[in-house]
Amino acid sequence: MAERRRTGGVRPSLGQTFVRMASFTGKELREVVRRPGVLASLILGPFLIMFLFGIGYTGVRAPFITEIVIPEGVALPREAEYYADLAPGRLDVREITADREGAEQRLRSREIDLLIVAPENATSELRAGRQTTIRVAWNQVDPVYDQLAGLATTILVSSLNAEIVEQAAEEGISFAAGEIGSAVTNVPPEVIARPTTAETENVSLSPPLVLSFFGPAVFALVIQHLAVTLTALSMVRERLSGQMDRFRVAPVSSMELLVGKYMAYAVLSLVVAAVVGALLVLVLNVPLLGGPLIFAGIVLLLTFASLGVGLLISLVADSERQAVQLSMLMLLASVFFSGFVLPVTDFAGWTQYISYALPVTHGIATLQDTMLGGEVSQPWMLLALLGIGVVLYVGSLLRLRRILRTAD
Amino acid sequence: MDHVTRAFGDDVAVNDLSLHVEPGSILGLIGPSGSGKTTTVRMLTGTLGRTGGEIRVLGEDPMEFSRRARGRIAYMPQLFSLYEDLTAQENVGFVAALYGIGPFKRRSLIRRALEVVDLTEAKDRLARNLSGGMQRRLELACALVHSPDVLFVDEPTAGTDPMLRQSIWDELRQLRDDGRTLLVTTQYVGEAEYCDQVALIADGELVALDTPDELRRMVFGGEVLEVNAQRTVEPEMLDGIPGILRISQPGPRQLVVTTEDAASTTPRIVEALRLHSVEVLGLAEHQPTFDEVFTGLVEQQRAMRQREEQAAGAAQAPAVADG
Repeated sequence: MAERRRTGGVRPSLGQTFVRMASFTGKELREVVRRPGVLASLILGPFLIMFLFGIGYTGVRAPFITEIVIPEGVALPREAEYYADLAPGRLDVREITADREGAEQRLRSREIDLLIVAPENATSELRAGRQTTIRVAWNQVDPVYDQLAGLATTILVSSLNAEIVEQAAEEGISFAAGEIGSAVTNVPPEVIARPTTAETENVSLSPPLVLSFFGPAVFALVIQHLAVTLTALSMVRERLSGQMDRFRVAPVSSMELLVGKYMAYAVLSLVVAAVVGALLVLVLNVPLLGGPLIFAGIVLLLTFASLGVGLLISLVADSERQAVQLSMLMLLASVFFSGFVLPVTDFAGWTQYISYALPVTHGIATLQDTMLGGEVSQPWMLLALLGIGVVLYVGSLLRLRRILRTAD
Repeated sequence: MDHVTRAFGDDVAVNDLSLHVEPGSILGLIGPSGSGKTTTVRMLTGTLGRTGGEIRVLGEDPMEFSRRARGRIAYMPQLFSLYEDLTAQENVGFVAALYGIGPFKRRSLIRRALEVVDLTEAKDRLARNLSGGMQRRLELACALVHSPDVLFVDEPTAGTDPMLRQSIWDELRQLRDDGRTLLVTTQYVGEAEYCDQVALIADGELVALDTPDELRRMVFGGEVLEVNAQRTVEPEMLDGIPGILRISQPGPRQLVVTTEDAASTTPRIVEALRLHSVEVLGLAEHQPTFDEVFTGLVEQQRAMRQREEQAAGAAQAPAVADG
């Protein structure tokens, strides 16, 4: 029997359509303004998070607390500074000892981070033309620290090898000089051991500061989260309060309702973005090399796509609790997959689809590009934001139309 | 609506309901809580589909309402569903805008709607700060703001005090007098008095549909006279008076007489009692309360259904025996 309804009949005038859309926009804005606490937390909250992050995060990892075991009789230096200098900033050599058992125990009980055990027969093996092995062990469950320990080990072994080559070269040159004469001393032993050195230069237009790098990322995440949470609850409330019946009876179309809501939350998100963005640039001194126009354009696209996520959540969720849960899931997914913490390229190929389906992934990349580099290096990301926004808008529209058409 | 049914799974909320509302009148849909009133209103407004039957409002099927038809109707839901963080006039303005009324025209309409429900003084108060009765009136103002031709008003007086109830009904009757058509649901049977026509429903079925006076007649089978005498009376004293259908005696000096025509029977009753040396102290038409009417009609319907079931059972019994 009759379960569907048409919204058609007489085509409304453009003016009436605008009046209806504006009614939703005005209503939503008034509701937010009437809750000054919400407004304050919308604007001050994100800034405060970034401010605390900026002043609190040093970006410098503490060096590994290291103990080195050198067996008795091995002719290796026993000064802690010597080994610390082999991997500068990465090792905090606390003790040089011959007690391997004790050192292993301290590693297991996590009193130290890193244990280096020198081989007992290094010199004889070298002279015999065989490699010797340095045992390096660590006790880490943190995968990042695990990788860093491996890196520190590589640097240490490489430096140690160079030291050994340098010593050997020095001995060889002295021997040759005695046999052949001073002609062989033209190449210094350190050049033989380290024939090249690196001259490094970071050509980035902005210095690689922690706050500058993470500022745009936090900003993008905040904009997405605001837009998602604000909108996720709005339609759920309309449904639970019985307003949908009023909308069904009134000559309102789903498009007018949806665009009205979009406009309201777009205005809110952009105001928050403008204030927080200004604080970011003017107070936290994050560069804005790309200029305010492209910055505003990216924020607009990110907001548009994020509003779509929020509205879709609000149309799918059955209760406010579920809407909040889905918004939090979105935030969690964004933190992990957006490149906020770990680069997107670190993920397996198929997982990257999840990353690129999130508006914030494109928001972070393009905002970092434009703020720190002066231009968007991957313009397709802007199109991706637009595409996500359009798809979600159409999805929300269809879902809303279904809700308005189909009776309970 | 014609033979309309609505079922939720196996539960039939409205069963074979037929109603017709005259333009410019108030139809009261009266019944106890859970009798199917709100379901009926929601089907009439197109917010709920039906599982059987036909409905026409302003000549259109509610599930296929055109924008023009939707612009001519209004729905006041049972529960307060306006925005608590908006003021009274902002709420009315929002609803007006839903009907495409621009800001300039809206201003005067909002003022007028608030005047009708006597909320002008409270126009700047947030809806959450209004009392329950004021919120109901605000809902009514929202329903009125676009000057609808047809209003569906779901339990406007639920949870309100008698004074406010009277005031709301005054407003509804004024709207009727202005030429609007109203369908009003209520669980207060006594409010049937305010309606031009009353549909009594119970368990999703129509018990009766008529004017309030006719419903009374329907229960008692005629007009009812209450006779108060100076001394003890007996029903037999009225034997032989034509048109009397039934006599009951609630007290030794009181008779309740059901008659086909009160006007012609009244002088005959006085005369008959005078012949028995009984002086009549008072004789007036008895107005049964609608609680009595409703109870009587429901009991009549149940009795009729019982008889039908018994008759059907009796008709089946020989067939079974034959088989």
